Amino acid sequence: MHLSSGQVVIFFLSIGVMLLFAKLFGELFNKLKQPAIIGEIIAGIILGPTVFGMLFPGIFNWLFPQTNEVKIALDGITTLAVVLLLLVSGLEVDLSTVLRYRKTAVTTSLMGIIFPFTLGFGLIYFYPNLISPPNDQLHLAFALFMGTAIAISSLPVIAKILMDLNIFKTQVGFIIISAAMLNDLIGWLIFSLILGMLGATTGGISFGFTLLLVMFFVFFTLLFGRKISNKFISVIQDKFSFPGGILNFILIAGFFGAAFTEFIGVHAILGAFIVGIAIGDSAHLKEETRLVIQQFITNIFAPLFFVSIGLRVNFIANFNLTIVIIILILAMVGKVAGSSLGARIGGMDKKDSLTVGFGMCSSGAMGIILGVLALQYGLIQEEIFVGLVIMALFTSIVSAPLMSYFIKKEKSYRLEHLITPDMILFSNSNEKNELLRQLINLTEKTIKADKERVLKGILEREETNPTGISNYLAIPHARVNLTKPVAAVAVHSNGINFDAVDGLPTKIIVLLLTPENESELQLRLLAEIVRKFKDKSKIENLIAIKSKEEFVECFNKL
Amino acid sequence: MNQIFSKLGLAVTFSPTGKALLKETKRLKELFSAELVLIHVGEKKPEKEEQLNQIVSQAGYDLDKMEVIWSTGDPANVILEKSKSAGVDLLIAGALEKESMLKYYVGSVARKIMRQTVSSVLILKSPSENPKSFKRFYVSTDFSPQSERTVRLAYDFALKENCEEFVILKDFYIPGLATTVLDSGSIDETESIRNKWQEEEEEKMRIFVKELNLKPIPIKTKCLYGKEGWETSNYARENKADIFIVSVPAKKFKFIDRLFPHEDEYSFESLPSNLLIVR
Repeated sequence: MHLSSGQVVIFFLSIGVMLLFAKLFGELFNKLKQPAIIGEIIAGIILGPTVFGMLFPGIFNWLFPQTNEVKIALDGITTLAVVLLLLVSGLEVDLSTVLRYRKTAVTTSLMGIIFPFTLGFGLIYFYPNLISPPNDQLHLAFALFMGTAIAISSLPVIAKILMDLNIFKTQVGFIIISAAMLNDLIGWLIFSLILGMLGATTGGISFGFTLLLVMFFVFFTLLFGRKISNKFISVIQDKFSFPGGILNFILIAGFFGAAFTEFIGVHAILGAFIVGIAIGDSAHLKEETRLVIQQFITNIFAPLFFVSIGLRVNFIANFNLTIVIIILILAMVGKVAGSSLGARIGGMDKKDSLTVGFGMCSSGAMGIILGVLALQYGLIQEEIFVGLVIMALFTSIVSAPLMSYFIKKEKSYRLEHLITPDMILFSNSNEKNELLRQLINLTEKTIKADKERVLKGILEREETNPTGISNYLAIPHARVNLTKPVAAVAVHSNGINFDAVDGLPTKIIVLLLTPENESELQLRLLAEIVRKFKDKSKIENLIAIKSKEEFVECFNKL
Repeated sequence: MNQIFSKLGLAVTFSPTGKALLKETKRLKELFSAELVLIHVGEKKPEKEEQLNQIVSQAGYDLDKMEVIWSTGDPANVILEKSKSAGVDLLIAGALEKESMLKYYVGSVARKIMRQTVSSVLILKSPSENPKSFKRFYVSTDFSPQSERTVRLAYDFALKENCEEFVILKDFYIPGLATTVLDSGSIDETESIRNKWQEEEEEKMRIFVKELNLKPIPIKTKCLYGKEGWETSNYARENKADIFIVSVPAKKFKFIDRLFPHEDEYSFESLPSNLLIVR
């Protein structure tokens, strides 16, 4: 069997049209500050039976045939795409990070799985009429699947949200990302076992044997495969062409893993995902390699896959409001409550726990992939698939604003929240001690420490290691008995001597007081202030400002 | 300058490197003007005692002024317990650069000491019978108060050694960063945010060094992006550091940390040079 010349034409035309629409809508959604995959899925819905197929059924069936060899070829492409997506997803699962934050990461992740899984499984299993399975034989597998589908998190969406909210490089960010990584690993393992269970019921190898083989594969790959690939990567990156050599190695290993897991009765994605984790763990794997492979998959295979989702199902005909609402409630409540509870058990405070809970609730691309595979296996019907896609899109969109609302603590540690009009002082005092005392007085609402002791500490420090920087800036600072940082700024029109490196008089004095044990926070805030004072002309404009409000606005824009 | 270490402990063996370790320790004992306790794991028999006295004398020690502890049991546990009860503040041991895979997972004596220590530990990778001073100091920091103390101690040590190069290293890593490419298909935003973080780390490092206010040896610095623990360790290895200095990990490393190494475990797994773990 082979494709005729006419079918080859249709095959390439359909791929071209899918990529074109994916790119256009992806870019449009990026401009609207939304994830590109939402645009790509909408592109698929427009191209598919929901819109284009409804309006022009003849052209639709010609371009995207549902039965012949072109369909098989297109299915092959989407299978390849999903395997590659899971391979690169695995590359970013960093088990060493999970171990670093083990207690909180593990409790957050486990509760983020157990709670929604139990909620979803329990409701579907014990109330079969709530959402009906495709047939009674599949009832257990269906309930297990629904539990998994609402428990899984999407690493790429979560990572992007953390980046946009500027909390990626914080304790909360690390906890969320490491819990999401563990969540992915457990989620895909459970899903693969459900597929193994289905295979057993439809005449494949026994479930017990499949389970044994999966365990062997996972342990062997993560323990020994990881060590072996680490050695290979080191040699390949040194001796082979870049990025060709390493890209080929990753793809070859991923395909072998995919072939093995498909062979043992669970889906190919598990093999690709686990091999991805083993390779991604290597300290030798350059960040450039990670970015190149992500770019390669993201620009070709991911859009094809996400567009293909809309081509499968009529989203209007299969839209069932009750199912959508049930899935949305289960997912949001289960995920947010479970992950927040896990973070709380892991030692985080109430606000941070809620931030983590909302951070973990996005099921994004992973939820959609799970839905597509379940649809292919006949485990779910179109109505539930539509519900899962909407749930994935909805959670991806609302996760960021909800998180943003709860990350008050992280925000309060940022410089723009510390420098407020009531913390500005215009002074002409020529006495350094007096000026510093005035600044400390501004902070008296926040600091618990003895003000005279704080002043003494700052002055002693000025003696041995002056804090005059350059461009009229000095940052007298200290670590004192505080719960959160505090800053106050004095503007001195004539200038005062703080032994600045460039010899200029100091006209802007930023007093920075930080909690005793948070040395890195102090460094971050100091670095942020120094970076703002790089442009001398801007600083001269800042010094000339006479209004506190205007000063703060201008300072934050530096 | 405060005394850096006041009481050294050496796990002494009859192995070929035993004598070299004794000579290296003698140099350090004199450098720090410290006391020394020798710990030998084994039953105290006259012939063994004679053998030990012989190698200790050959290494140039005055036997009458030495404290020697004999004890039996699990070597690593005995060394750790006895050094603690003797008030040792720097335990010295020798170790291979890398263990075989089986021994790595099972855990050798030296590795167990590194992971379980309650005092500072100096692991000598290739002890010599003609010991030389350390000239190239590479110190890893995470900007914490503990690592600030570690850098200060390392600096005092470097001053005593008249060192030629003193480098402070910081590595940082954002797991999952590359997945953000999936959102736009472009690496520009991801790269630009990573560069911004790199600049932030470098600025923090400049301030960290200024805050330390250490003189007179000039301090070089390097901020590296990559797996935390591995990047600094590898940089020290590639730049042929004489001694790589880290702070004692906040949590004791367990078996699972060997399965999926992170942070200092990379240095424990494969020694980049001589390794000083500071408590």
